[in-house]
Amino acid sequence: MNKCYVTYNSLITPLGNSPAENLLSLKKGISGIQMFDGQGFAGESLPLAKIASLRENERFSSLLTSACEALRGQADAKMLSSSKTLLILSTTKADLSVFPGDTFQSAENILAEKLKLAHSPLIISNACISGVVAINTAADYIHASLYDQVIVLGIDVLSPFITYGFQSLFALSDEAARPFDKQRKGISLGEACGCVIVSRTRPETAGYTVMHLGGSSSNDANHISGPSRTGEGLVRSVRRTLERTAIPRSEIDFVSAHGTGTLFNDEMESIAFQRLEMDHIALNSFKGTVGHTLGAAGIIETIFSMFSMEENLLFQSQGFAETGTSCPLNIITENRSFEVNTVLKTASGFGGGNASLILQKI
Amino acid sequence: MMELISYCRVLPEGISVNGAKVYAPDSTESWQKDLYTALGLNYPKFHKMDNLSKCAVLGFEAMKQEGAPFADFGDDEIALIFANSASSRDTDERFTESYEKIAHPSPSLFVYTLPNIVMGEMSILNKWYGENVFFIRKTFDAAMFTEQISIYLSKGNKACFCGWIDHTSEGTDCFLFLVRAGAGHLSPEQLNTYYKQYRNE
Repeated sequence: MNKCYVTYNSLITPLGNSPAENLLSLKKGISGIQMFDGQGFAGESLPLAKIASLRENERFSSLLTSACEALRGQADAKMLSSSKTLLILSTTKADLSVFPGDTFQSAENILAEKLKLAHSPLIISNACISGVVAINTAADYIHASLYDQVIVLGIDVLSPFITYGFQSLFALSDEAARPFDKQRKGISLGEACGCVIVSRTRPETAGYTVMHLGGSSSNDANHISGPSRTGEGLVRSVRRTLERTAIPRSEIDFVSAHGTGTLFNDEMESIAFQRLEMDHIALNSFKGTVGHTLGAAGIIETIFSMFSMEENLLFQSQGFAETGTSCPLNIITENRSFEVNTVLKTASGFGGGNASLILQKI
Repeated sequence: MMELISYCRVLPEGISVNGAKVYAPDSTESWQKDLYTALGLNYPKFHKMDNLSKCAVLGFEAMKQEGAPFADFGDDEIALIFANSASSRDTDERFTESYEKIAHPSPSLFVYTLPNIVMGEMSILNKWYGENVFFIRKTFDAAMFTEQISIYLSKGNKACFCGWIDHTSEGTDCFLFLVRAGAGHLSPEQLNTYYKQYRNE
């Protein structure tokens, strides 16, 4: 089986416009979530993780354009246009500013113009597990020797559509999200774009590189918008990923969990990790720091996890103070040095989807 | 190596399984409801679903009734590989209207504003805990499906239940097929032939 390497590339979030800026903000414990007046339905104030530089009505196009420019600045032009390169775009809604026009076509047009790719991009739209599924799909293509490298780009931006939708479900918190905490009240929505490159050979020039050992997905078969009470889908996905990678759970140093901050999701995850006998492993959610970025979440949280490996540094789960799940987890309460060799990243989402992947240092 | 076991089309004109028409609706206006009745279904959740999920449920039930061996596989041995071109545009438009026109964002519409929900409904209907992936593609891409099926079978899945489903104001396009690991070789060209046969092209 081919080896599968992962490097990170562009990363634009409320914490910064590059991987270096994001890392610095994480080290300083800065939160990307702020209160905004009048952003909710009927003019409610909401905590949001907004990228300040994006212009209204152009949020998606300007963010994707910036990410493409950053990618072009760092990646070899020959690699981008190679017939052995594929781009996978992970997004739930793409460019809603053109709705009811084709929001995905709009994204494809930007990618075609900016990157001059040999193949049309493959788009994955699998709710909140899109990013993890996209990275796993990229690894599948590498293992099948269909491509030499797969660029995986995850993006979603804030819009009234998404905000009003989550408000209608009473899923939004009125303060910055507090994943796994006793006082948690719901999600804080965010926006971001992150990019990783998954490749068959270790890139010569690129920066920090880790191995993707394997991954999987699983459905809860329970409810389209509510998490399973037993965590069955998440348990099955993690078990399958552990089996496929032949990694014993004792080797996992850190879990980057989904942790949205809703009562039911975080409770479900705690039950799943206890059933998996992984509740003692250091775990966080980045959604108290950058909010829930939907189709980008799996990608940007994977990059943050790579920072933990690169720096041997565990990042605090912002918003967490006191155990608020029936199965206590080992939540990281402050940044601390720790040798992070092997990471489990998980995601769960609407449609009952769950996905997971394992990264390891080379 | 993979073999196509069963395929199905769901259209306002009726349902065909393996190339033969098995059910026709009484009227084109209430075709989904007519087909639900014709199939003898008793699944009240059906009536609350979006159109993508309704098409998938009708097609799946027709395939099952015509002998597609879904029950031969364990509850997490069937991977779901679905795709379409319009995502959930039909429901997206209705959800947008709920807050723009009647000032009441509808939670029951919002939960269907993601295309992968159709795989959630299939999983709930069957208690399937298998792998799921949803792609957006301009047109039916047979090579993408056969690549993905080959990958999912090589990862240990025993079968793949695949779907290409669009439902917009421009029309309905629903093609479902079940593939299992086996001695056969399903080429993209063959799969395209089944798809075109379904489209009457």
